[in-house]
Amino acid sequence: MRELAELLQTGQVSSTELVIACLEQIKQTDGVINAFLTVDEQGALEQAAQSDARRARGEALSPWDGIPVAIKDNISTRGLRTTCASRILRNYHPVYDATVVERLKQAGLPILGKTNLDEFAMGSSTEYSAFGVTKNPHDPARVAGGSSGGSAAAVAAGQVPWALGTDTGGSIRQPSSFCGVVGLKPTYGRVSRYGVVALAPSLDQVGPLAKTVEEAAALFSLIAGEDPRDATSAGAPAFQVPRWNAAVVQGLRVGVPEEFFSSGLNAEVEAAVRRSLRTLEEQGAVLKPISLATNDYAIDTYLTLVTAEASSCLARFDGVRYGERVAAPDANTMFAKTRGAGFGAEVKRRIMLGTYVLSASHYEAYYEQAQRVRTLIKLEIARAFEQVDVIITPTTPSTAFRIGEKRNPLEMYLSDLYTATANLSGICALSLPCGYDSQGLPIGLQIMGDHYQEELVFQVGRVVEASVERGPKVEV
Amino acid sequence: MIGREEVIRMATLARLELSEEEIELYTRDLNSFLVSGKKLQQVDVSGITGTSHAVSVIHALRRDEVGESLPREAVLAEGPEVLDGYFKVPRIVEGQE
Amino acid sequence: MKYDVVIGLEIHVALLTESKFLCSCSTAFGAPPNTQCCPVCLGLPGSLPVVNEKAVEYAVKAGLALNCQVHTFSRFDRKNYFYPDLPKAYQITQDTYPLCTDGFLEYYIDDELRCTAITRLHLEEEAGKLIHSGSSIVDSEYSLVDYNRAGIPLIEIVTAPDITSPRQARLFLEQLRLVMRYIGVSDVKMEEGSLRCDANISLKPQGSPVLGTKVEIKNLNSFRALERALEYEVKRQSAVLERGGKIKQESRTWDERAGRTLSMRSKGDAPDYRYFPEPDLPPLQLDPAWVNCLKDTLPELPLARLRRLEESYGLSRYEATFLVNYPDFGDLFLELAKAGEDNTALVNLLMGDYARLAREQGHLAPGRIAELLRIVAEGLITHNQSKAVLEELFRSPLSPREIVRDKGWEVLRDAEQLRAMVQEALAANPDIVSRYRAGEERLWGYLVGQVMRAAAGKADPKVVNELLKEELARG
Repeated sequence: MRELAELLQTGQVSSTELVIACLEQIKQTDGVINAFLTVDEQGALEQAAQSDARRARGEALSPWDGIPVAIKDNISTRGLRTTCASRILRNYHPVYDATVVERLKQAGLPILGKTNLDEFAMGSSTEYSAFGVTKNPHDPARVAGGSSGGSAAAVAAGQVPWALGTDTGGSIRQPSSFCGVVGLKPTYGRVSRYGVVALAPSLDQVGPLAKTVEEAAALFSLIAGEDPRDATSAGAPAFQVPRWNAAVVQGLRVGVPEEFFSSGLNAEVEAAVRRSLRTLEEQGAVLKPISLATNDYAIDTYLTLVTAEASSCLARFDGVRYGERVAAPDANTMFAKTRGAGFGAEVKRRIMLGTYVLSASHYEAYYEQAQRVRTLIKLEIARAFEQVDVIITPTTPSTAFRIGEKRNPLEMYLSDLYTATANLSGICALSLPCGYDSQGLPIGLQIMGDHYQEELVFQVGRVVEASVERGPKVEV
Repeated sequence: MIGREEVIRMATLARLELSEEEIELYTRDLNSFLVSGKKLQQVDVSGITGTSHAVSVIHALRRDEVGESLPREAVLAEGPEVLDGYFKVPRIVEGQE
Repeated sequence: MKYDVVIGLEIHVALLTESKFLCSCSTAFGAPPNTQCCPVCLGLPGSLPVVNEKAVEYAVKAGLALNCQVHTFSRFDRKNYFYPDLPKAYQITQDTYPLCTDGFLEYYIDDELRCTAITRLHLEEEAGKLIHSGSSIVDSEYSLVDYNRAGIPLIEIVTAPDITSPRQARLFLEQLRLVMRYIGVSDVKMEEGSLRCDANISLKPQGSPVLGTKVEIKNLNSFRALERALEYEVKRQSAVLERGGKIKQESRTWDERAGRTLSMRSKGDAPDYRYFPEPDLPPLQLDPAWVNCLKDTLPELPLARLRRLEESYGLSRYEATFLVNYPDFGDLFLELAKAGEDNTALVNLLMGDYARLAREQGHLAPGRIAELLRIVAEGLITHNQSKAVLEELFRSPLSPREIVRDKGWEVLRDAEQLRAMVQEALAANPDIVSRYRAGEERLWGYLVGQVMRAAAGKADPKVVNELLKEELARG
């Protein structure tokens, strides 16, 4: 991206040329990949032309003015269809921009289009998209991961330099890991959620996906910081791309939680992650075995909270103000038919679960219990960060699985085994490629940092990245 | 065990019209989810307060200033059925909870 | 059998903020439908609420005025239910940790001071407005939704079941409205819906410690409706109990035209609102110093003012109540009384013709009222003439003295001029004079009236009386 920025700066390439190249790549590859739900060819070209004009006048809005970006389709874009990969919103055109989109536009980034996801971000493979699965550019028989599978695949397939995703339990990191790209789940509250269609507001965060750590950091710098329209972002600091300094790992205390290297973990994934850990150690980091025993409850806690919050957040899709409506003689029947027809199976499943755990007679045993276990998880993470500076784990227990392989929803939920803890505790976590398995599939490594420690996480990520050999180039 | 009736009650609360197959499916799913819930119930949380917010934030209020509203065309633009500047809904029948 | 009546009220008060509770749309009443809406109050996907600090301030003020404990930690919760007027299909409210609890309100029933406990007071958002195609929701084929009202800040106030009669319920609510008006947090208009009230009522055998089954009554759109609906329920429920029947726990709606309550739904199918903490809003944490500061800025409240008017100004309960119920009159009274005007003359003036004129045309500047009182006290005009001057003050920009001079309304005191009038009056009524002399003393007034008429009402009554006495004595 630094190269792209420099090329734009020196006039060796124009934004229009970049957008055309992206559109060309999408045309060539997206028939297979299905990363995009909407490509805004005309809009992107217009924004690119404006960017070129600004550059010509020497009035670039940012160093990245003119570099196109893709947006996950659960983030509102004014006038540009935002479906959340759901039938119920298949023709929904928001009347406003999410804060993150507004900020990218203010930095001069043309919006190339909207990327595929599991319906309302509920899933780990984009198989739950109402508009078809996104395929992994490394192997089209495999999933790209999810829910931000479209964004991860688009970046991996070279359709766009970078993209925004959302992460509620691993939805940026897991697809990043599966597609061999870099993805950050920021500290809760550091990026505005205004305009981001909620899955579980106490867990959701928007974050960047890019090819390199530096690019991810650059995109993050454009979206981070307090937003008066999101009360949960109050006091959140902005972010600037740091001066890169490999010496940061000298004396760095790296926590290695044993629970994340246990029986369910694929051996090749473990080997790759341990190799990176050794590299860090060789460069002066201190590896500290730690225990995060509460991770055993993370998925169950996550599932309870996410379904509860989602059942409430998705109630507004009632066919009155926007979205599809199925006609009926009375309002309640209209609501039920609209929602019954508009939502897919997984969304309905989670609404049912969420309604159950919040209902008066089960609230205490399920929802409240999960909230209290969440406190235990938070406390354990806080204690861990008293002893270590970062925690390193695999991002996922395995590499990308085959399309259709996971039929049982509970099995699918286990994809978030290593990632949900960061959401539950509100800390930041970065996933980046650390090698490839014997089938040539990317392996992801996760670096977790304490609240607002994104800079440290990026610094460490950059060191890991430098030590990892570039894998096979993606062929599509 | 969660029975069929409980599943129907949940679907009514959530305003989801479900087919017979879906009712069966979600009855199974809810019951397998119970295992997950039961596992959590084993955890000792005595003396622990629940976390409802990931990060604690103190002052997050806005000043009482009127900002711009949307033009009415924009408000109604996505409405499935509108009439005379209003959103239109079919007959409201009370007491269906 | 005799029954004890047990009533509790649930009151909603719309707060007078400029912008809505959770977004910056205007709260102005009466705009064309769906013109005061934004992504937040329409519940568009992705929009987020941010709390208006003024709404918090007003709610705290209301809590303090109702002698509540104001909690420096409170939390917002979602109340989930589907209804076309509820944009997000949940209402942001406060369930587990309300802003205020444990208050009370004192008020008079006739001469007896009563106290009703306030269980809780919390903040929440208003829903939109429904317009039904038919005459009511039941016979409408469709309804129309206007979201201008959606998201206006409300406080919900819940009383303990302390109220023992329909009339008491009404007096309580009137006092509550007055308190809200005094502290300026709401315009509390029942007809515009900025004050709304639901009532819970149950009956139990007199003296029994066991509460009866309670019935909730909704759609009480006026103070009169509240009292009438409760009276109706007392009769209905006692009739059921007399027959040996059981009261059904249910919600009933008040039908104003028919003058009765109708069953809406039984509590058996009470909705399950699935409350849980609102993740989009951090808990509300107040600085105790700020709360204390608000306490210090509270104005004098109605009951305190009533007592002060009685005790320090010697007013009757009737007069003091008038001034308390019409705070603008109360303020005027206190300002003028402070300036040294005679309390009795002042309150008589304010409660008399002045009240009617001021309600139609707005208040006069206090200085002009003071001058009017002064020229009556000085004897420049009679009390009778003061009414004409008052009328004129509402029409003319002139001062009272200027009006009197212009109109030539000064009191006639010249003894010679008046004596001539007295003599003329006696001469014109020989009959009356002789009857008076014969002992019909009540005719004195008639004779005075004749002289006054001749003097066009301007004669000083004291002088007229003296002269009349003299002339009659002269025989």
